[in-house]
Amino acid sequence: MLRMMAGVGGALMLTAGLAQAQDGNALLGMSWDEIVETARGGEVNVFMWGGADNINAYVSDYVGGLLEEDYDIALNRVPLTDTAEAVNIVLGEVEAGAAAGAVDMIWINGENFRTMKQADLAWCGYVDKLPNAALVNFDNPAIANDFGTPVDGCEVPWSRVQFAFAHDTARTPEPPRAIPELLAWAAANPGRFTYPAPPDFTGAAFVRHVFTHVAGGADALVGPFDQAKFDEVAERTWDILNELEPHLWREGRTYPTSITQLQQMFANQEVDLFFTYDPAEVGTAVVNGIFPETARSYGLSDGTLANTNYMVIPVNAANKAAALVLQNLLLSGEAQLEKAQPEIWGAATVIEPDRASEKVQAGFAALERHPSVVSIEELGQAALPELQADWTSAIEDGWIANVGN
Amino acid sequence: MIGRGHPWASLAPALCVIAVLFGGGLALGLAGSFGAGRGGGWSFEAWIAVLSEGRVWRSLALSLWIALASTALACGLGLGAALLLRRSFPGQGLARLLFQINLTIPHAVGALGILWLLSQSGFLARLAGGAGLIDGPARFPALTQDHFAIGIIAHYVWKEVPFIGLILLANMHSLGDDPEAAARSHGATPFAAMRLVLLPLLMPALIRAGAIVFAFSFGAWEVPVLLGQSAPPALPVLAWQRFTDPDLAARPEAMAIAMLIALVSALLIRAAFAGRGR
Amino acid sequence: MNGRLRAALGLALIAALVAPLVPLGLWSVARGWFYPQILPATWTLEPWARAFAPRSDIPGALMTTTLIALAASALALALGIPAGRALGLYRFRGKALVELALLAPVIVPGIAVGLGIHGVFLRLGLTNSALGVVLVHLVPTLPYVIFVMSGVFSNYDAEAEAQARSLGARPLQVLWHVMLPAIAPGVMVAGLFAFLVSWSQYILTLTIGGGRVVTLPLLLYAQAGAGRNDQAGVLAMLSLAPGLVILALVARQIGGRGMAFGGTR
Repeated sequence: MLRMMAGVGGALMLTAGLAQAQDGNALLGMSWDEIVETARGGEVNVFMWGGADNINAYVSDYVGGLLEEDYDIALNRVPLTDTAEAVNIVLGEVEAGAAAGAVDMIWINGENFRTMKQADLAWCGYVDKLPNAALVNFDNPAIANDFGTPVDGCEVPWSRVQFAFAHDTARTPEPPRAIPELLAWAAANPGRFTYPAPPDFTGAAFVRHVFTHVAGGADALVGPFDQAKFDEVAERTWDILNELEPHLWREGRTYPTSITQLQQMFANQEVDLFFTYDPAEVGTAVVNGIFPETARSYGLSDGTLANTNYMVIPVNAANKAAALVLQNLLLSGEAQLEKAQPEIWGAATVIEPDRASEKVQAGFAALERHPSVVSIEELGQAALPELQADWTSAIEDGWIANVGN
Repeated sequence: MIGRGHPWASLAPALCVIAVLFGGGLALGLAGSFGAGRGGGWSFEAWIAVLSEGRVWRSLALSLWIALASTALACGLGLGAALLLRRSFPGQGLARLLFQINLTIPHAVGALGILWLLSQSGFLARLAGGAGLIDGPARFPALTQDHFAIGIIAHYVWKEVPFIGLILLANMHSLGDDPEAAARSHGATPFAAMRLVLLPLLMPALIRAGAIVFAFSFGAWEVPVLLGQSAPPALPVLAWQRFTDPDLAARPEAMAIAMLIALVSALLIRAAFAGRGR
Repeated sequence: MNGRLRAALGLALIAALVAPLVPLGLWSVARGWFYPQILPATWTLEPWARAFAPRSDIPGALMTTTLIALAASALALALGIPAGRALGLYRFRGKALVELALLAPVIVPGIAVGLGIHGVFLRLGLTNSALGVVLVHLVPTLPYVIFVMSGVFSNYDAEAEAQARSLGARPLQVLWHVMLPAIAPGVMVAGLFAFLVSWSQYILTLTIGGGRVVTLPLLLYAQAGAGRNDQAGVLAMLSLAPGLVILALVARQIGGRGMAFGGTR
C-alpha cells in the first residue's frame, strides 16, 4: 500500500512538474497576439465566492462561453464560501514550493488582497498588456486603491459596489436615512434592528459606517492608520454601540453570525432593516421569492461606503496566459454591459462607458434597473471611500473585544 | 481466537495509512502551531496568545458544555429509547426504521432542519403564531443561536439518541432476557432488575458509545457554525475563523486551537475510561 | 411500563425523529416560505426542476459524491478487513496500542487533523483532486471498518479455514469459499458505514478538495449560506437518498441490529 501511495503521489508530482507554471516574465515580453496564441486551447481556474446563482451563471455561461468560442479556453469556476480559502490555498502552495498552482484567478478585494500583496502572492505588472485596460480610468483613486492599498498593477478591477440599506415599504414605510437617525430609530423600535457580528464582511462594513460617523466623516480617516486617532474615535464608537445594544434584536446579547442570517431574519419579519454591500442583491432576492415585492434598497444622506472588487492572478498560477485573456475579456465593454443588466446581475461597471464602442455606450444609457434596487447614480451621490485595511482590521478586532463579547 | 502470533502483515497497510494521514496531520498541525513553515523559525507565540486569550477559554467552556450536555442527554434518552423499543407496541416497527434512517442522515442536513424547526421564525414558532400563542417571532423562546447552545445540543441529541439506542439494543439482543429474568425470579422488581442487572452489563457499550458522541460534539464544526451564537463561538468555529482569517499571522493560532481541541478531547476520554476502573 | 404509556412514548419518539425533516422537505417544494406562513403559500416543483436543469451543479455533485464514497469505502474495506481480522483473531504484544492507534481518528476531532492534513497532502501533491479527497476520507471511515470487522472476526471460527486447507484448498479458495461467506454480512455493514461517513463529509472535503471537488454537502452549505432555502431543501432531500436506498436494500439481511455500530460523521 505504501508503495502504491508513493507511486500515486509520484505520478501526480510528475504531471505537476510537466505542467510548469507559465513563466510570467516570458509572457510580459510577448505581444498580445502571441499571448493569445499561447493561451489558446488551455484552461483557466477561477476561484470566486459562489453563493449567487446569477453571478455563477454569468461567469460560467456567458464569460465561459465566450472564452470557449473565441479562444478555445475552458473556464473552470471554483465556488468558495470565503475568499480567504483561495488565498490560503495559494499560500500553502507557495510555502510548499509548488510551482504550478491550482489557482489562476481569484475574485478579491480588501484585506485578502493586502495579504496577497504583502506576501508576494500576487502576480503584478501585466496590466499594460491588456488591450481593454484602455477602457479603465486607472487615475480614479477609487480604482487605484483597494481599501486604501495601492493596486500597483497587481490586480484588475471588475465591478464597483456601494453599501445600501433595504426596507419593506409595506412594513416600514419611513426607514431611517442617516446613521444618527438609524441609531435613534433602533432605540425607538426595540428588537427590530441588528447587524451581523464582525468578522462577517457586511457586519464589519456597518460598524465602519458608525465609526466614520463618529469620526465626523470619511475625510477624517483618509490615509494610513493612525493609532491616536483610532483610539479616540474607537472609544466613542464602542460607547455608542454598547448603548445601542439593549435595543437590538435579543437585547444585543448575541448577534447574527452572517449576513445571510440577517437576510433570513428580514424575510421572516424578525427585524425591519437589511443592508448589503451589493444593492443588486435586493432585486435578486425579490426575483427569488426571498424578499417581498415591496422591498426597496436605499442609500443614506450621510453617505455609504463604496468599494471596487478586482481579479487577481496568483504569482504561481499555472495558466497565466489564459488568465490574461480572461482578464481582458472581463474588462470588455460587452462583458461589462452584460454584467450591468439587472436580470443578469446589475453590477456597476468599472470602465468608462464613453471610452467603449457606441453600441456599448447606448447599452449603458438604456439600462433599466429592478424596481427594488436603488439607482447607482442616486447612491453614488454620497459615496464614502473605504478605509485602509489596517483601519478595517483594527475596527474589527476592537469591536470583537469591546462590543461583541 | 487463533491465538498468539504476529499478524503484522495484515495490520501494516491500515497502520501506515493512519500514520501518514492522521499522524502526519496531527504532527504538521502541531508544527504549524509552533509557527514552523512561516519563515520565522519555531516559537511559542501562538500558544501564548491562544492560552492568554479570554475568548479561547470561553469558547472552550462552551464546547465542553455542549459536549457534556449532549452526551448526557443522548445517553439517558438513548437508554430510555432502547428500553422502549425492545418491547413491542403499535408503531414499534416504524420507530425502529426511523431510528436507522436517522443514523444515515448527514449532520449538515440535521443541523439545517433543526434551525428551520426551532428558530424564532421557524416551523414551531409559526405553529405557535398560528395557534395565537405568540404575537411575533421575538415572543418565541430563543432556541437557536442562543446563550445555552440549546439548538446545538438539540441537534446532537436528535442525531445521537438513535446511535446510542441501536448500540444498546444490539447489546440487549445478545444478552438475551436471561440475566433480568434470573433477577426477577429472585424477587427483584422490574426496575431493580433493570438497574442492578441490565444496566451494569450495558455499561461498557454505553461508555464506548458515549465517548464517541462526546468527541464528535466537542470537535464538530458543521453544527455550531449553523446553530451557534456569535460570541463566544464553539471552539472548532473559532479555530476555523482563525484558519480563514485574511491575516496570515492568525494561522498558527488556528493550529494551536485545533491541537487544544485534540488534547482536551483525548484527555477527557482517557479519564472516562480510567474512571470505569478497568 | 404499561402498553398505553409505551405507545405514547413511542409516538413522541417518532414525532421527534421526523420533525427536523419536515421543514427541509417543505422548503424543497416551496417558494418564499417565511414567517408567519405555517405552510408555504406557493407550492412549486421549480427547486427540483432547477436542481436537475442542464446547467445545474447538482447532478455532477451527486455523481462525484457517490463515486468518492464508493472508492473510499472500497479502499477502507481493502485495508480494514485484514486489520480487523488481525485484531479479532490474534493476541499479540502491543495489541492495545495498535487498537488505540487505529481507532484514534474517531476520538480526535476532524478539524484538529484536517488543518494539518492539508499540509501533508500539499507535499504529496494530492490537494484539489478527487483522489486526495478519497484518501482523506479514509481517516474517518477506516476506523469504523476496523471496529466492525474486528467484532465480526472475534466471532469467526478460523478452524474452518484449517479444515479446508487440510482438505487441499488453496489459500485463495479458502478466502473465497470459507472466509468470505462467513463475514459477508459484516463486510456489508462495514461498507455501508464507510459509504455513509464519506457521503456526509464536509470539512475534510473542503480543505483537501480546495473547492475543486464539489460534493453534495459543499453545495448544501453554499446554498444555505446564500439564503437559497429552496435549493438547500432539495439538497437535503437528496442527501437522505442513499441512506434510504441502502436501508431498503439490506433491511431484510441485516435486520435491526446490523446498523448498530456507528453513525455518520
